[in-house]
Amino acid sequence: MSATSDSRGEVVSRIEVDRSAEWVVTVYWASALLWLTVATLAGLISSIKLHSPGFLGNIEWLTFGRIRPVHWDTAVYGFGGTAASGTLLWLQARLCQTRIPFPTLLIAGGVVFNVGILLGSIGVLMGKSTGVETLEFPLWAMPLLVIPYVFIVIANFKMYFNRRNAHTYVSQWYLMAVTIWFPVLVLSAEACTNLGAVDGVAQAIANWWYGHNVVGLFATPTGIAAAYYLIPKVIGKPVHSYHLSLLGFWSNAIFYNWAGTHHLTGGPLPAWTITIGVVGSMMMFIPVITIGINHHMTMVGSFHHLKTSPTLRFAVMGSMVYTLSSFQGALESLRSHQEITHFTHYTIGHVHFGMYGFFAPLMFAMMYYAMPRLTGNEWISARLIRIHFWCTLGGMLLYTLAMCYAGIRQGLMMNDPTVPFLNIVKFTIPYLWIRTAAGLILLAGTVAFLINFWRIVQPHRLRFVTPTLMTTERDYDMLLKKEKELSQ
Amino acid sequence: MLLKKLGLSLGVFLTIAASVTGLVIIPNWQFQGHQPMRKADGTQYPLPYFGEQAKGRAVYIDQGCIYCHSQQVRMKGYGADIRRNWGTRRSVPRDYMYHRPHQLGTMRTGPDLASIGHRQPSATWHALHLYDPRITSPGSNMPRFNYLFTEMRDGDALPVGAFPGDVIKIPPQFQNSGITQLVPNERGKALIEYLKALNQSFPLPEAQQ
Amino acid sequence: MFFVFVFIWTFAMIAGITMVWLLGWAIKNGEFQNLRAGARSIFDEEEPEGRVTDYFPGEGPLMRQLEARR
Repeated sequence: MSATSDSRGEVVSRIEVDRSAEWVVTVYWASALLWLTVATLAGLISSIKLHSPGFLGNIEWLTFGRIRPVHWDTAVYGFGGTAASGTLLWLQARLCQTRIPFPTLLIAGGVVFNVGILLGSIGVLMGKSTGVETLEFPLWAMPLLVIPYVFIVIANFKMYFNRRNAHTYVSQWYLMAVTIWFPVLVLSAEACTNLGAVDGVAQAIANWWYGHNVVGLFATPTGIAAAYYLIPKVIGKPVHSYHLSLLGFWSNAIFYNWAGTHHLTGGPLPAWTITIGVVGSMMMFIPVITIGINHHMTMVGSFHHLKTSPTLRFAVMGSMVYTLSSFQGALESLRSHQEITHFTHYTIGHVHFGMYGFFAPLMFAMMYYAMPRLTGNEWISARLIRIHFWCTLGGMLLYTLAMCYAGIRQGLMMNDPTVPFLNIVKFTIPYLWIRTAAGLILLAGTVAFLINFWRIVQPHRLRFVTPTLMTTERDYDMLLKKEKELSQ
Repeated sequence: MLLKKLGLSLGVFLTIAASVTGLVIIPNWQFQGHQPMRKADGTQYPLPYFGEQAKGRAVYIDQGCIYCHSQQVRMKGYGADIRRNWGTRRSVPRDYMYHRPHQLGTMRTGPDLASIGHRQPSATWHALHLYDPRITSPGSNMPRFNYLFTEMRDGDALPVGAFPGDVIKIPPQFQNSGITQLVPNERGKALIEYLKALNQSFPLPEAQQ
Repeated sequence: MFFVFVFIWTFAMIAGITMVWLLGWAIKNGEFQNLRAGARSIFDEEEPEGRVTDYFPGEGPLMRQLEARR
């Protein structure tokens, strides 16, 4: 980027933008990785407990019904919330070509957010869960999550208003939408469930409206925003069709938030509410196809870069799984499909396919791309990156295939009243063992990433490597300068 | 022209406002007219949970039973819920009119519990099952809830506040390290009361359609 | 209950009006014109279209160049 002058005569180059974001974004992403580790461990404990119920069986605060919600909440708020916030701040700063505003406040917000998740999780482990899925954190923990998010929303708008770039890039559409949707989502859902605006079945609808939207209107848009930036940026080729990208955005915005009621198919709801959910889910084919065309067609002719670019590997894996898991999800909403797979491990497989196959890899891609630019350091080990990638891909595929297959068989057996229920339980046990193995593979990948991340934030690592992610001479000069400063 | 411009921008907000209205608030209005019905014996159905049952429901929530057990029976011809004897009829919104928070659940690692009190009215069965699910259901992968019970050896005195009638004998083949009897503690007792109260057998007219 | 509904709708209206204002302003600024250039807005002189910007550490084509400079 050529240095542009703003109204105050300031010169904000891309490198300066990255430097202003260094600590803020590092704090958010470091917390994301720590929470990812916690969530993976909690998931592993839950998984082991399902095939070996005696494991840690006498400890009440680690009983399945408590560690399982901690797994999901730390994954979705702890990892998802912080990874997405870091992504949002950095991407918005870069696309607006502005410095990140009030970094100290944002870092403090990040700390408060972490404390909130920690206290909320401890609350659930102590048995203070609200009992509403995805909103289990006790109400007193919620302000600690909402207030820091308000800082992020304000910072996001401030950057947007101060932007130097004349054009609003498609990623920014998604990021702006997330900042508007997420607070509305959380507050409406809390009001309708834990604050008691509605009871019974209406509350269940509110619960799943939220449960589905937290993935669809928070994780998904952030992931898509990352893919829209990273794929073209890494391979140096503009997005295939910019018109389609805007169509994809609006159709996603309109249809996704109607889809949640398919989580209650067959339940005691008025039939029309479920029909709406199914229609909303089927209409998702429009944004999914447009986004898919855009991401995959941009890649056509550039697949050889997958061999050399870690960012691209994760980004392309994420965008491909986005297409696949969205197709799977849309079909899953159909009544005939739900008759079998509802209430089974199939749903669990689908959730992990989406979160660990689409959202998480795109966040990893974001980190792999941005961290060298933020810190001025280089990733220490290409091997650890490769381990991380293959563990993520392999563990995620093993998990999804095992759970989806087991879920279909489980559902078919459950719909046959001549099969005793305990036979179904026994049938699933080997697949639950496979799930534990998949969890261990994912954990190994996470540890590889943690080591790499830990070392890139250490300043002294610089002098031992040859920076190659930095592709301009100017970046290299900056590194040399920093190296000199450090050695003095 | 102005409307054309605003149409696009209104979209983002309206998308979400519309769905919360359509999916939560309108159904809620639809349910507002629901009234409990009078049974033949003069009692009402449904009734709000109170006393022991309400305490037991809190234990059910705190132990996270919802992550493996649903409380909703699907209609005849859609799945095999009724043929599996999980309920005598399908569940309807009125069954849940007093449920806060809802515990419908979306997972059946274990069987549905909407009418478990109808299916298993025995407190002893529930106590043994919660203490160690393998006693009543061999091969089950449900966790033990032994911390909801006081374990007793032969000759031990009754815990404070317990009656002789609360004592449950463990079948001999499952007795371990001298523990022969159980007394549910306060939370255990409440949970069993709640499970026994889970009963959707009353034939609400709208569930017959 | 009534309070909660008032709260939801007040909040939603504030969010909505903000969005209307923001997007109305964005459209006025011509965000929807010249989409082809928009797609290229992420590139610049130093990282132009056609330049690959990410490699595994120690494996990029610039490595040799830099080694030579040393």
